[in-house]
Amino acid sequence: MRPWAAVAAVISLLRPVALWAAEEGVPPPHGWIGTTSEWIRGFGIAFALLNLFLLWMAWRSLARTGITPITRGWLLVAIGLVPLMVAFLSFAHGLESSATVSACGSCHVMTPFVQDLHNVKSDTLAATHFKNRYIRENQCYTCHSDYGLAGTFKAKFEGLGHVWRYTTGLYELPIKINQPYPNLRCLECHGESQKFLNSEGHPKEDMRSLMDGSVSCITCHGPVHPEQKKAAMR
Amino acid sequence: MSERRIPRRGFQIAIVLTLLFNLLALLVMIHTTPILFTLFMFVGQPLFVLALALLVGAVVADLREKQLL
Repeated sequence: MRPWAAVAAVISLLRPVALWAAEEGVPPPHGWIGTTSEWIRGFGIAFALLNLFLLWMAWRSLARTGITPITRGWLLVAIGLVPLMVAFLSFAHGLESSATVSACGSCHVMTPFVQDLHNVKSDTLAATHFKNRYIRENQCYTCHSDYGLAGTFKAKFEGLGHVWRYTTGLYELPIKINQPYPNLRCLECHGESQKFLNSEGHPKEDMRSLMDGSVSCITCHGPVHPEQKKAAMR
Repeated sequence: MSERRIPRRGFQIAIVLTLLFNLLALLVMIHTTPILFTLFMFVGQPLFVLALALLVGAVVADLREKQLL
């Protein structure tokens, strides 16, 4: 098989895998070949399957011929090289996927919150942002993490704590935010918008207290999420 | 146990550890949940690092046995 034919074969094999995770709804534009993250996932699965084959070959070679130069070659590729690609791709995919709404909703205690997001009749602040796509994707993560690299690290460590408490059952219902919601997360998007700056609800004399966080945005713009009891009764 | 079996056992354990790491990675890529991703990060990746260390150790032991190192 010629090299270009091999490349075309690999792409034709990976394309369905990459498109597999594509969202339903608006049809993709002509020539759509998937997003970067879908391709990372597709390549990750392909490399992981390749690595399973290489491990089997290495094991077989070790069992049949012992430690020969050929066996060393199989071992180097199967344990030393290809797993590095698998590690990188699965880490990248996992890191991105753990920020999605479905990842947050995978813990059943979050189900009422995610149900409210998908409820088009809901007028909570979170649902309004979700249904109008004021935040395009990863809505939970975007509003519940601070901006910048430090914010990402902090959110990931907090997420680790959530996983620990969820798996060990060390949590109390109803679920509550563990600290007052900081205005800076709202202002990161709204702070420079003309609608916010010129709103009658945000007079100039109150702007300072909104900027320094002494008055919370959600005091006036709540409720952010449905009350736990109310959501559980739906 | 003869000296010749030591690196071979090391290689076999390294293959099994890489296999476990690989299966966890495959699970993460097929169906990602926060719990699976945490398992991959804190169990899968250390297994792979251990496998790499075993591979290096077994290669060094093999080379020493052949007096190449």
